[in-house]
Amino acid sequence: MRLSTNYKIAYVHLTSSVKQTIVALMGVVFGISMYIFLNSFVSGTNDTQTTLAFTSLAHIRIYNDGPADHTNLLKLAYGNQIAGNIRNPKVIQYTQGIKNTGAIIDLVRKQPEVTGITPQVNINVFFRNSGNKINGNLSGVDVNNENKLFNISSYMVQGKWNDLQYRPDGLIIGTDLAHTLSLHVDDNINVLTSDGVSKNYKIIGTFQTNVKSVDKTKAYLNITAARQLLSENQDYVTDLQVNIQNYQKTAPVEARIAPVIPYKVESWQESNQQLQAASSLRNIISIAVSLTILTVAGFGIYNIMNMTINEKIKEIAILKAMGFSSGDITSIFLTQAIVIGILGGLIGMITGFIIAQIINHIPFKMAGMNHLPMSYNLSDYLLAFIFGLITTLIAGYLPALKASKIDPVDIIRG
Amino acid sequence: MENNIALKANHIIKHFYQPEPFKVLKDLSFEVKTGEFLTLTGKSGSGKSTLLYVLSTMDTDYEGELSINGNKLTGQTRNQLAAFRNEHIGFVFQFHYLLLEFNVLDNIMLPALKLNKKSREEIEAKAYANLKLLGMEEQALKMASKLSGGQQQRVAIARALINDPSIIMGDEPTGNLDSKNTQIVFDIFKELAHERGQTIIAVTHDDDFAKNSDRIIEMSDGIIL
Repeated sequence: MRLSTNYKIAYVHLTSSVKQTIVALMGVVFGISMYIFLNSFVSGTNDTQTTLAFTSLAHIRIYNDGPADHTNLLKLAYGNQIAGNIRNPKVIQYTQGIKNTGAIIDLVRKQPEVTGITPQVNINVFFRNSGNKINGNLSGVDVNNENKLFNISSYMVQGKWNDLQYRPDGLIIGTDLAHTLSLHVDDNINVLTSDGVSKNYKIIGTFQTNVKSVDKTKAYLNITAARQLLSENQDYVTDLQVNIQNYQKTAPVEARIAPVIPYKVESWQESNQQLQAASSLRNIISIAVSLTILTVAGFGIYNIMNMTINEKIKEIAILKAMGFSSGDITSIFLTQAIVIGILGGLIGMITGFIIAQIINHIPFKMAGMNHLPMSYNLSDYLLAFIFGLITTLIAGYLPALKASKIDPVDIIRG
Repeated sequence: MENNIALKANHIIKHFYQPEPFKVLKDLSFEVKTGEFLTLTGKSGSGKSTLLYVLSTMDTDYEGELSINGNKLTGQTRNQLAAFRNEHIGFVFQFHYLLLEFNVLDNIMLPALKLNKKSREEIEAKAYANLKLLGMEEQALKMASKLSGGQQQRVAIARALINDPSIIMGDEPTGNLDSKNTQIVFDIFKELAHERGQTIIAVTHDDDFAKNSDRIIEMSDGIIL
């Protein structure tokens, strides 16, 4: 009942100066909704970029990195004690590609985080159409598993992805590559490998991932046909691409499988540090901006609370004269701040959601997007609410403390 | 110490340090009996209000010793003193000091709700009884800001009485009132002191008001004449 008396006074203060309460509330609402909007927007952007990046990039890639540099054998055997020279040394790569792929695939599949693995035979080739030729990458793929990992079928512009499975003579090529070589579906295309093998294929489809470097240079081929092109055995694989549940958590999987696989195991973070850096930087910017907004809102609340306390300084003195303790006075004004914080937080979350929805509908036709990207994470909303509450608590506590220290004698005697 | 001593001040000395060091109260000692209607008089600057605020326990910056109803109050913390005031002391000030955003009833009930010894219904009944005593029962649900000065002062008295304090202190309780309202307040104080045994200590510069009280302490330059 003692507390409820304080609450009642706080309630009367809040409701008797509605304008001030609303201004303070608006500050919190604005801060929190901006925090939510900015973070949703940035994580939407990051998600979009991730999706784009992972159209051709797996979370973990396993490949044959080539032997170490052992060209100076003398030094290796004798150290620096002997002066000797080997002219024109060469390292011969005994194995090309990955051997014993079946066992490796089985091993990787057994990891609980792994959601998919697909073998590839990647070949650097020239794509030729009469006089035009373009240096590009021909990827021999396991049609089903490739689609599971990269969802290529959703990027098909013409033709069907699954046709690749039944057409050893078929290629699916990027739209920009097709455009540069003036090629269309059902046209013939010539492929020239580095070993000088030349072979004609038929274009059975085109795709567009919106990653220009991929669309301009890449073509897909059935993995069996790719092995044929290289005259390799039916187990030949150059790359194993692995996807896991959470693309951020490659490190533990990598640490577990790398020691037992005699090939290079590389996470996407290692090979694409710029992606990781860009999304981290965007996150930092959005947090900095939204915390600034919240701080400014906090100053607004601080100001309004200070004003209220100056206005009510006589009431505070009289309450103290009547026997209200310093703690009572603090709780009266802190309650007001908390009410503004919670109310502002709730309204701010709704407003933030509405703003995010509106921005999400603004057309933005670039890199395969139709609208501005936005993601809706519960954690953004909860964090905004918590930050908002903390800000209002601090902004309300300082004036409340000041109020509790008022000496009634000074005020009543004038 | 006898039971009928309501308040005892022992060698009270107080200095002001602003604007320059100055001894306001010069070693005052006196006792007030239970049920006594005491007035403090004197010219401006004689220290009478300063003395009242020391007696009220709100001003703790003094030397000497103060006890009320046998409780030694000197040296207690501000929060302990606040709790003591809440239960044992009622205040009436010159400028009414009601909480203007609350209605009359809430104003009166606040100290009792704070004390939290009775149910809300009992407190409300008591508040109505106090209003009736002061002839204000019809204004109970009006906002405090809508009352005239005399009415506000009567509400302030009703508020001072809500916890049945043993001592009621007034700082110029009639300073802002016309003669008719002054007479009403005086009669109420007299009734409280003589019929209910509540001790009244009031600072006043109204000679008629003082003359009719039980005892006058006249002050000049920080000493009792």
